Amino acid sequence: MSEQSRMYLGPARSSEARERAILGTLVVVLFLVFWEGLERGWWSELLRPFVGASADRWAVKPIFISSPTRVATTAYRMFFVTGEIWPDLKASAMEYGLAMLLAIAIGVPLGLAAGWHRRLSYAIAPFLTALNATPQIALLPIIIVWLGTSLVSKVLIVFLLAVLPIAMNAEAAVRTTDPRLIRLASSFGASEWQRFRSIIVPSAVPFLLAGLRLAIGRGMIGIVVGEIYGSAAGVGAMINQAGSRFQTDKVFVGILAIVIAGSILAEITRQIERRVEVWRPPV
Amino acid sequence: MAALSDVEPQSRPLPPRTMLQRLYRDNERFIIGGAALGAMLLIWELSARTGLVDPLLISSPIAVARAGYTLLSEGEIWRDLEVSATEFLVGYGLAAAIGIPLGVATGRCRRASYLIGPFIDALNAVPRLTLLPLIVIWFGIGIWSKVVVVFLGAVIPIAISTHSGVKTNEARFLNVARSFGASEFKILSSIILPGTVPFIFSGLKYGSGRALLGVVAGELYAATAGIGFMIGNAGNNLRADILFFGVLLFTVAGLVSVAVLDRFERRFETWRPKVGSAA
Repeated sequence: MSEQSRMYLGPARSSEARERAILGTLVVVLFLVFWEGLERGWWSELLRPFVGASADRWAVKPIFISSPTRVATTAYRMFFVTGEIWPDLKASAMEYGLAMLLAIAIGVPLGLAAGWHRRLSYAIAPFLTALNATPQIALLPIIIVWLGTSLVSKVLIVFLLAVLPIAMNAEAAVRTTDPRLIRLASSFGASEWQRFRSIIVPSAVPFLLAGLRLAIGRGMIGIVVGEIYGSAAGVGAMINQAGSRFQTDKVFVGILAIVIAGSILAEITRQIERRVEVWRPPV
Repeated sequence: MAALSDVEPQSRPLPPRTMLQRLYRDNERFIIGGAALGAMLLIWELSARTGLVDPLLISSPIAVARAGYTLLSEGEIWRDLEVSATEFLVGYGLAAAIGIPLGVATGRCRRASYLIGPFIDALNAVPRLTLLPLIVIWFGIGIWSKVVVVFLGAVIPIAISTHSGVKTNEARFLNVARSFGASEFKILSSIILPGTVPFIFSGLKYGSGRALLGVVAGELYAATAGIGFMIGNAGNNLRADILFFGVLLFTVAGLVSVAVLDRFERRFETWRPKVGSAA
C-alpha cells in the first residue's frame, strides 16, 4: 500500500506541478471551510431564507464532527499545554517498537531459512497461507484472554501482523537470487555459510526493505485496533475513550498523531532504501 | 520453483527407485505441509488433553470442531453469518462500484486526480480503522457502520490500483485511436478498460483482505450481530472453542474470496486480446 502512496502526488512537469498545487490546495481549503461552516452553522444560516426550517440539516452539532479550529486548539492544548498525549504516544511507540524488533528478529531468519531449505518452506507454507488469509485482528479477543490488556498483548498482535510480510519477502528474496551466482560460488568451493552470507544476504536487502515497508503499515493497523479494542494506555486507547465520551476533537487529534507517526516511519524507510540503492552495485 | 540448495549437484535427490519413493517425490510439498499441519494439531490436542496448558485458554482441535458442528446444526450462527456476509458484500460491492470508476476518472483526467488526490493520499496514510470510533458515532452500531468501515478499507486500494493501471496504458494505442477519431467512450471501452483489468484485479484482491479486516474490527468494536461479534463474545465468555471456530470461518472466507477473484481474473484474461504484449 505505502509504495503506492505517492501515486497521486508523484513528480510532474513544472506547469502541471503548479496547477496541481493550486487545485490541491484549493480543494483542501474548501473542504476545511465547508467542515468549519457545518459546525458553526454558516450554511444553515445561508440557506434559511431559501429553504426555511429544513436548513437546520446543514448545522451539525460539534460532538458529531468537531471542526478544524477546534481540532487545532485541542491539538495545541494536548501537545503543549497539558501534555496529556505524550504518555499515550510513549506507550504506543513502546509497543510498536518492541513488536517490530521482534518481527524482524524472527521473520527475517525464518524467511531466509525457508527460502534456502525447500523442505522447511513446505512445512511452514500451510501456516503462512492460513495466517495470511485470516484477518489476524480476529485473534485479538483470545490474545486479550491470554495476555490481558497490558503492553504484551499489543506487542503480540502487532508482531502477528508485521511478521508475515517480512518473512514472505525474505523467502522470496532468497528464491529470486541469481542461481548462476550461487553456482559460481560453489564451483569455487564456497561453503554453504559463505554462499549464504556473501551472495544471498546482500541481494536480499531490497526485498527485506520492501517487506519492512509493508510491515510498518500493517503494524499501524495492529497498534490502532489493538489499543481501541482493549487497552489502558496508548493513542488508540485515547481515541477510544474520547470517542465514547463524544469528544470528537480529541479523536481527530489522535488520528492526526497516527498519521504523522506513519508518515515519519514511511519517510525513514524511504531514506534507508535510497541509501541502500546507492550502496548496491547495479545488477 | 526449486530451492537454491538444490542447484548444487551433491544435494540433488537420487532418481526414485520404487513407486512409493516417486509418489513421495512428486507430492513432497503436500506431504510435508500436511505432516506439519497434522503435527501442530496433534500437539495442540495433546497439550490440552494432558493439561499441559489449561484447555480453557487454548481449547483443542476436537473441541473446536465440535463447537463448529453444534453452532451450524443449532442454526444460531446463520444469523451472524448473514449479517457479516451482508456487511462484507455491500461494503465491498460499493467499494468496487465507486473505486474502479474513480480510479479510471483520476487516471484519465489530470484535473480530477489533482482534486481527489489529496483526499485519497490522506486516507491512504491512515489505517482507516482509526476512524472506527467516529464512524460508530456517525452511523451507530448497526450494520451501516460496518458497511462504511468495509467500504473505506477496500475503496482506497481499488482506486489506487485502477488509477495506476490506467496511467500505465500504452500511449501508442491511445495515439492510434485518437488519430482515427475514436470517441472517449470508445477509447475507454476498447483500450483503457481491457488494459487495466490486471491492475483492477490486484486492487480487488488487496481490497478483499482489507474488507474482511474491516468486518472483523468493526464487529469487534461495536456490533449486535456478526461473526466478529460472536468472536468477541466468545472471548468474554472464555469460550475458546467458539472463538477459534469463528477465526477459522474468517480464514475460509479469506481463502475463498481470493480464489473466486483468481477465477474471475483468469476468465477475463482468456477473453481479453493480448494488449500489453504487442511489441
